[in-house]
Amino acid sequence: MKNLKTGSNLEKVFESGNFAVTAELGPPKSIDAEIIRKKAGYLRGYVDAVNITDNQTAIVRMSSIAAGLLAIKEGLEPIIQITCRDRNRIAIQSDVLGASALGIKNILALSGDHQKFGNHPGTKNVFDIDSIQLIGILSEMRDKKIFQNGEEIKNSKNAPPAAPEIYIGGAANPFGDPLEFRPVRLAKKINAGADFIQTQCIYDMERFSLWMEKIRERGLHTKIKIMAGVTPLKSAGMARYMRDSVAGLTIPDYYIERLSKAEDPVSEGLAICVEQILELKKIEGLSGIHIMAIEWERKVPEIVDAAGLYPRPEV
Amino acid sequence: MPEITKTRKAVIFCCENSSLAVNAVKDTRLLEGFEQKVLPCSGKLEVGLILKCLEREHPFILVLACPLDNCKYLKGNMRARKRVDLANNICEEIGIGGGRVRMDYVSSLDAHKVERILKEVREQIQGGLI
Amino acid sequence: MITAVQKPFEEIYQNIKGIEKLLVLGCGSCVTVCMAGGEKEVEILSSSIRLANRQNGLSMEVAEGTIERQCDREFFDSAKKMIDEADAVISMACGVGVQFLAEEFKGKVVFPALNTKFYGATDEQGVWSERCAGCGDCKLTDFGGICPVARCSKSLMNGPCGGSSEGMCEVDPETTPCGWQLIFDRMKELGQLEKLEKTHPPVDWSSGRDGGPGRIIREDVKL
Repeated sequence: MKNLKTGSNLEKVFESGNFAVTAELGPPKSIDAEIIRKKAGYLRGYVDAVNITDNQTAIVRMSSIAAGLLAIKEGLEPIIQITCRDRNRIAIQSDVLGASALGIKNILALSGDHQKFGNHPGTKNVFDIDSIQLIGILSEMRDKKIFQNGEEIKNSKNAPPAAPEIYIGGAANPFGDPLEFRPVRLAKKINAGADFIQTQCIYDMERFSLWMEKIRERGLHTKIKIMAGVTPLKSAGMARYMRDSVAGLTIPDYYIERLSKAEDPVSEGLAICVEQILELKKIEGLSGIHIMAIEWERKVPEIVDAAGLYPRPEV
Repeated sequence: MPEITKTRKAVIFCCENSSLAVNAVKDTRLLEGFEQKVLPCSGKLEVGLILKCLEREHPFILVLACPLDNCKYLKGNMRARKRVDLANNICEEIGIGGGRVRMDYVSSLDAHKVERILKEVREQIQGGLI
Repeated sequence: MITAVQKPFEEIYQNIKGIEKLLVLGCGSCVTVCMAGGEKEVEILSSSIRLANRQNGLSMEVAEGTIERQCDREFFDSAKKMIDEADAVISMACGVGVQFLAEEFKGKVVFPALNTKFYGATDEQGVWSERCAGCGDCKLTDFGGICPVARCSKSLMNGPCGGSSEGMCEVDPETTPCGWQLIFDRMKELGQLEKLEKTHPPVDWSSGRDGGPGRIIREDVKL
């Protein structure tokens, strides 16, 4: 294994040549820590790390750092998501220091869903920086041990620098418009210092393969670990809803047809998800899979197992 | 709702073309209690002017314009329509009730149509429907 | 121009309860162009107030006036007498004008009639949209003349988020184009797509509103 940048398990899994598996864990809309323990219990042993979402869809939830710490206590490695919607560069850098001090090793930088979609639509957004600038800040904090303003990360003039060692993630939407610009945006994230990328959930394999082709043409897959996102569909209704309401998301009709014809749509949905993973594994340049089972974390082990990705490597 | 009186007549704003139809009304008794103001085009009508008429206690405003797509100034009648709607909305909003301003599209040959409209307006006012 | 829309009548009307002599003062600049607070709108609002007063059995003198601009001292001269005579003034100017009027006439009660919206342009009659966020450090050079700060819902500097779909922004897909799609199309048209590969570092927002209330001091023109 080459020199590792951080103590992240996810980094080790990638660098030891394994196909990585991550999942998503949404913190509760209350102080109910039991929910996190329960969800962590499902995922433990089946994923290499788990994304802890940051007030996703702009709905107030338990802080991703606090929930991440609870996950660590349950034996899971968290990937803390940080959006640019709610915090400026001061608050974000402060949280990165705190998260790192608490033992968090992975951070995923996002722009953040607009507050219009959440439960406080009248709030003021921040967007002081964007996700690419956030990636840049994280990598400079780690590699140059400096804050965004250029100051060294140390407590006093004579103290040694004590900077966070964070494995840096980003997101990519292969199907967002303008399509032609998407690979450029990924390249920007790589240049800013992202180590891995997770994609928006993929259903349209053909379009995704084309996107991967563009990525390989630019050689981007050799510079960053790309994880393909999948979301198991629970029913034809859910599939139609997602197709119609999520910007840039297409779900081919044959999946919807399969789900509506199935006697047991739930197992059909899981079967489709597993098939997708097996197909994705064959695509050159993909380093892992990111399973976003929305409020369905308990099904993740089943998917991981059926896709032949269990047990997870000890690295 | 003030009644039509000699000093407080209902006002007809019409364009040069629709005024020809008003002038061709055969039963001139129908025009009693109405005061006609001819504008070069119905598009010259302003919301402020409509409200000013209501302020001066004119009980009703009737706006006559060329048929749609047949305005000599192309979009004057469309502008007038928007302003009539706005005036009625304002009347509603300020608490004096909408429906005090009516707009109809008539060509210069539509005297019979104007007669019918005048009858309806009179009934509306006298019947206290507005 | 600075764009604005009129407040609901009820809100304006509530403010002037008990006033005996009222002046409705319009502004002949931006808000005249965007049809919110010029001479015509003064006429309509004044009539509306008088009609509502009559309906409610209230007596109130309502005077009307419009000056060239409410953001330049010299134009108040022509309305000084009217303003002095009024117990209160409803200013139909943008937020700048309302404040400047209040500053110039100490002790005079001033109410706003408009909600000031943004720096915008007229797309077509009756449609205005934002173009500039007044950030104090114009970035249009890098983006083909389309501003990511003002026209991207998230002011993203390095490209569109995942919410750009078929040219529209997910925040308001019916009427708001994705600012980044506009930038992309424009740069493509100009043959300058490679310019968009550049990563823009965090913005120094201190040149705009984040640096505190703005102030320009020009020694070259100051007397």
